[in-house]
Amino acid sequence: MSASNCTSSSAGGGGGGGRGRVRSWSSTTSVSSSGKRIQKEMLEFGADPPSGCSAGPKGDNLYQWVSTIMGPQGSPYKGGVFFIEISIPTDYPFKPPKVVFKTRIYHCNVDPSGNISLGILKDGWSPALTIAKVLLAVRSVLTNPDTSCPVVSSIARLYLTDKAKHDEIAAEWTLRFAQ
Amino acid sequence: MLRRSRHNLASRIFDRQLHSPRPGASINSVRRFYENLVPNYTIYDIDCPENSFRKFTDDGLYLISFSRNYQELIVYRPTWLTFSCKGEDCDFHGLPAKAKKFESFFTQLYCVSLASANELICKDFFLYVENNQFGLFATSTAQVHDAPAIEGATPGVPPIEKITFHLVRLQDGSKLDERVFRDDFVNLAHNMGVFLYDDILCIVSLRFQTIHILQIRDTGCFVDLREIGLFCREDDELFLNSHSQYMLPPGKKNQDELSNGLQQQDVQGSSFLSGIKQRLLSFVFRGIWNEETDHTLRVQRLKKKFYFHFQDYIDLIIWKVQFLDRHHLLIKLGSVDGGVSRNTDQHPAFFAVYNMETTEVIAFYQSFADELYNLFEQFSDHFHVASRNSLHVNFISSHSNNIHVLEQLRNIKNKSSCSPQFVKKMVASLPFSCQSLSPSPYFDQSLFRFDEKLISATDRHRQSTEHPIKFMSRRLPLIQKFKIKPGPEADVVDNRTRRISSFLFHPFLPFVLSIQQTYMQPTVVNIHFRR
Repeated sequence: MSASNCTSSSAGGGGGGGRGRVRSWSSTTSVSSSGKRIQKEMLEFGADPPSGCSAGPKGDNLYQWVSTIMGPQGSPYKGGVFFIEISIPTDYPFKPPKVVFKTRIYHCNVDPSGNISLGILKDGWSPALTIAKVLLAVRSVLTNPDTSCPVVSSIARLYLTDKAKHDEIAAEWTLRFAQ
Repeated sequence: MLRRSRHNLASRIFDRQLHSPRPGASINSVRRFYENLVPNYTIYDIDCPENSFRKFTDDGLYLISFSRNYQELIVYRPTWLTFSCKGEDCDFHGLPAKAKKFESFFTQLYCVSLASANELICKDFFLYVENNQFGLFATSTAQVHDAPAIEGATPGVPPIEKITFHLVRLQDGSKLDERVFRDDFVNLAHNMGVFLYDDILCIVSLRFQTIHILQIRDTGCFVDLREIGLFCREDDELFLNSHSQYMLPPGKKNQDELSNGLQQQDVQGSSFLSGIKQRLLSFVFRGIWNEETDHTLRVQRLKKKFYFHFQDYIDLIIWKVQFLDRHHLLIKLGSVDGGVSRNTDQHPAFFAVYNMETTEVIAFYQSFADELYNLFEQFSDHFHVASRNSLHVNFISSHSNNIHVLEQLRNIKNKSSCSPQFVKKMVASLPFSCQSLSPSPYFDQSLFRFDEKLISATDRHRQSTEHPIKFMSRRLPLIQKFKIKPGPEADVVDNRTRRISSFLFHPFLPFVLSIQQTYMQPTVVNIHFRR
């Protein structure tokens, strides 16, 4: 993961995930091809969902997904139910989806507005990745925060210096905001 | 003949001397005396101040009224007839002219100004804090219809510039405390947006989707207990603020002030679910999750039943709230359109039971859920709570405590063959409005029978009919006990004008005020009492 990736991450926040987001309709073929791809992923997801995760399109819009991640056992997030919105661009899978937490979470890779910053959602994105894999990555980052490239450096610092204190705060957040 | 005479007043008193009532039924048996003591005499069109009469307090100590311009509160003490007639055979004479005066029945205690400047008293709003004899009143300015949308406000809910709740000590009319809501919307009609349980008060801000829980202290002041909405616990916001400062990267502060400001704005206007919505969605999610053990099937079910409707759940707003006890709230949720309109029957609605202490949602129902209806049918009285120790509420007839009302309900139910529409219609009255039922024994359906379309314990204005309203004996179906006729004595039958009547029953005396209003004509107030 490069340093430039890190600095650009906070700018990547803002008003994503809105329902009435204007999409650029560059060409109909690309839309339908991304649509086909999403449809295929949806079927695959339904047939073999990753453990602890569930997801589905919001209403009849294929490009807006909602997912729920149960806080993994052994992490300070256990017992929490985290709602996540996934906005899929029309040029998917060539561009990564945007993943936003709708539930407050105390985590060094999630900025104060809920935007999650992962390598694979930026420069590390590959068209071979799927929504299911993204969700698995989000789930694993809950257990093992990526402290090498945090959006909230103070949380990462606390995690590295005093993990017990970090876990205590994160568990308190889960209790208050993710029940 | 013998049967009949057993029910006259004298024989009932003898009976009372001979037989003690069954344990726990003494009040019920004493209430049978009301069959003999009925408001069967009417004084038509009494000479009455031009007030808007609201109601008798449930302890019968006060008659609440507002001045015609809705600026002042005027409180009366109901007294029994305070006139005498000369000569013998009083019973056969008509009453003296003095009886036609309002002052012969009521003494004015005081008149205090509540509304200031451009505010008016909400004539449909009044709550009585019985323990302390406090009255809760509301004044408000007019609704602003073209207000700009602001941060945190629900779009589609028009703001009212200022709503003030006044706490008044009814003994002397002194104003004890007030609470102001600005640019907010609280549904004040028929006490809809406010519920009082013992000394705790819940006020629903429709515009900011917040349930304010306040306590009314014995000293006569409001104390904020908690706010439920954006956050669930009282210190959540404090907790978050202390941590967001902590979260701001300290190194970046000097480098870039601007981005720091932006980050702080993000915390304010974030797209996170509100506290109560998170609890609700997580309850619904867990419910579906636990229904199924196979993960694949579970995910498919979630997709259909949860994610597909996710936005609809997010768009739900809190309509109305009532207390079930000191910790539990029954919350009705629905779309924005239904929240502001008075008639919410057409809109889909949901019910949630929420525990304020543990901040947990305990149950969630759709408005046509049979489960909720069954609870409503069997335990209706549990929804009609006012306090832990108010006695008179126990005697308000409902289908859970009265066989006759239950029979009526069953009849309607059988006719409709228990369709979802029927269930929806029945539970539409939930959550109940606070203090909306009169505790008068004349509405006790084990004593009297009357047409509920024309009159009922529910405090509402009704369209007048030409004929007097009959109260029949429940025990002897053909015997009419008394009748109540609103409007002038010699009524000209005129179907063109719409006449609205309202009835104020004294909580325990055989004493009723009927008020009839006709468009462009003076209000007619009749007094019905036992001569």
